[in-house]
Amino acid sequence: MAAPSNRAWHVVLLVAGGLLVLVARATVNEYILSIINFVGIYIILAVSLNITNGFTGLFSLGHPGFMAIGGYVTAVLTFPVTRKAMFLELPRWLAGLQLPLLPALLAGGLCAALTAFVVGIPVLRLKGHYLAVATMGFLIIVQVLITNWESVTRGPLGLNGLPALTTLWWVYPWVAVTVYAAWKIKFSSFGRSMLAIREDPLAAQCIGIHLFKTRVLSLAIGAFFAGVAGGLWAHLVTAITPASFSLVMAFNIVVMVVVGGTGSISGSFVAAVIFSVITEFFRPLEESFDIYGIGEILMAAVLILILIYRPTGIFGSREPRFLVAKES
Amino acid sequence: MKAKWQTVFLSIVLAAVLAAPAMGADTIKLGALYNLTGGMSSIDAPALNGAKLQAKLINEAGGLLGKKLEVIGIDTKTDQKAAATGAKKALAMGVVAGLGYGDTTFVMAAAPLFQKKGIPFVTSGATHPMLPKWVGNCMFMVPFGDDDQSFAIAEYTFNKLGAKKVAVWTDNSMDFTKALSKFFKQRFTELGGTVVLEDFFMMGDKDFSAQIARLKNAKPKADAVFISAIPNEAGLTVKQIREAGLTLPIVSGDGFDTELVTTVPGPKLANDVYFSTHTYREDNRPEVVAFIKAYEKEYKRPPENAFAALGFDAVGLIADAIKRAKSTEKNALRKALAATKGFKAVTGEITYSRPSGVPMKGVSIISVKNGKYKVEEVWFPKK
Repeated sequence: MAAPSNRAWHVVLLVAGGLLVLVARATVNEYILSIINFVGIYIILAVSLNITNGFTGLFSLGHPGFMAIGGYVTAVLTFPVTRKAMFLELPRWLAGLQLPLLPALLAGGLCAALTAFVVGIPVLRLKGHYLAVATMGFLIIVQVLITNWESVTRGPLGLNGLPALTTLWWVYPWVAVTVYAAWKIKFSSFGRSMLAIREDPLAAQCIGIHLFKTRVLSLAIGAFFAGVAGGLWAHLVTAITPASFSLVMAFNIVVMVVVGGTGSISGSFVAAVIFSVITEFFRPLEESFDIYGIGEILMAAVLILILIYRPTGIFGSREPRFLVAKES
Repeated sequence: MKAKWQTVFLSIVLAAVLAAPAMGADTIKLGALYNLTGGMSSIDAPALNGAKLQAKLINEAGGLLGKKLEVIGIDTKTDQKAAATGAKKALAMGVVAGLGYGDTTFVMAAAPLFQKKGIPFVTSGATHPMLPKWVGNCMFMVPFGDDDQSFAIAEYTFNKLGAKKVAVWTDNSMDFTKALSKFFKQRFTELGGTVVLEDFFMMGDKDFSAQIARLKNAKPKADAVFISAIPNEAGLTVKQIREAGLTLPIVSGDGFDTELVTTVPGPKLANDVYFSTHTYREDNRPEVVAFIKAYEKEYKRPPENAFAALGFDAVGLIADAIKRAKSTEKNALRKALAATKGFKAVTGEITYSRPSGVPMKGVSIISVKNGKYKVEEVWFPKK
């Protein structure tokens, strides 16, 4: 049996990524570092949304909702006990609990995935536009819940003063894990059944694919990584409010997936990098000439151009050839 | 095709590279973080204009410590992620102090990063009284705290309007409005008044007939109604209450400091409305007059709202501290800021004498009668 993918290249890329992180930490200032961190978080978000939207073709706008769940769970778990007593009214077992970042992130991700299961069971019976609207509804429900659950979330003011735990060494290993997981899924029979559902659910069902199970799982896996990304996000910004994870963010992530190519992991990766960096890129221009907002306008223009000239996205549904194993 | 893409890309790169070194070398840099695009821009953009105007006036008068003052405006897009990166960017540029924001949420994303570096951050418009406690000793507020403005209007309502029983309406979607109601109720009941009815609405509501019906039927009858709202609902609530034939006084905080209070109901219905706000509107102190004149000259329009004046004051406050410290070193500057006493700002005198770090600052009580604004009194906190 041929290796599922081209191992050597993957190892080379992983090492190169590690070296880049080392170099970045040694050379650039905090501003650039924070941008690199956000790029990493957006890569996790885009690649994980690609599992849901790209592979299985479930058009979900609920990704920031899962991020919010993961973010709040992680934030409450890592919040120093002394500050918890000052700000929140928690049940006793939670009030005395303060976890390191890794278990908190995992708990956040798992809560998001669990929510995805619960939400997925009714919602995934819908298709197409209906599904998109239902997931949008989910996002709004999450926001309203967080806004009103004051004893735990502090309402609209949000949690602030979180420990700034997120560093490049936290973000990029998670990027690697996310990409690896997505890759393994895509080139497994499970991933193939996802792609089959996307192309034609009826045909997929005819060859024995369990539609519902596959759909719920793809939503839950995407949600897990969104939850982790939410946790990383919270500890990078060090503040988290219900408005942090908005519909605008949902669109931004969907744009990354669409521009990169629905179903292409490399595509999501590249598009996430481009779209998180491009607005920063125009900052000097905005600030020197007082034309604030030009970055967004140009980003929209780039988006339109890509959709006109490459409607399937930069990579389509494929991965670059050198990364994929040759057909035997 | 490929060549065309390359040209587009290269021209963008070139534009950015050319724009980058436009900053001067030997200036005193202030990082101004504002949401110039997105939902908060109507509040934050005037504030940056005010800040830049102050810097310009200072530079025309010879600058500070022999150097020019430079306000670097950073757009944070009504996005907390952008607020955090914006703050890091300002710090990487070597600013001596930061300023910005008309809303607590964004201050909390940016200010802790300044605190970590020990560099002062001055908020021009965020009014949460706990801010300096949450952030630390590098956090300074230009405006009064929400508690002061609520106390001011509560005392006015009880003592001057003679209302002993009030109804309280709260916009339940924002922390600012909830805090305002909380402090109002606290002071009003301390004074011996009673809250006879509490009612809620959400930002964006257009129809208040249910609340008005409950207000009409309240037993015992309310002598006044306190409405904790932001500008959009301010005009609407006044209009609908007056149209329903209720004539009781309507009182509120600085969310009512907007033209909408008179333009939406019209001058006939905009009557018997009282609100507490920054000492700026309808004020004729020389600082206010000079500011409005300078603003009109610079931007060819009158200042949009009090936030323009607050932005102007934020830079003025920092400049004043730099002058007294005779240095821009962060610790000296922080100490000088904390020692600010009687600084004559456009929005009232600023003194930092409380342990809470919230300035001792006058609060204007403004009345609206037949569509005309008038300053009734200026309230000062006792401690």
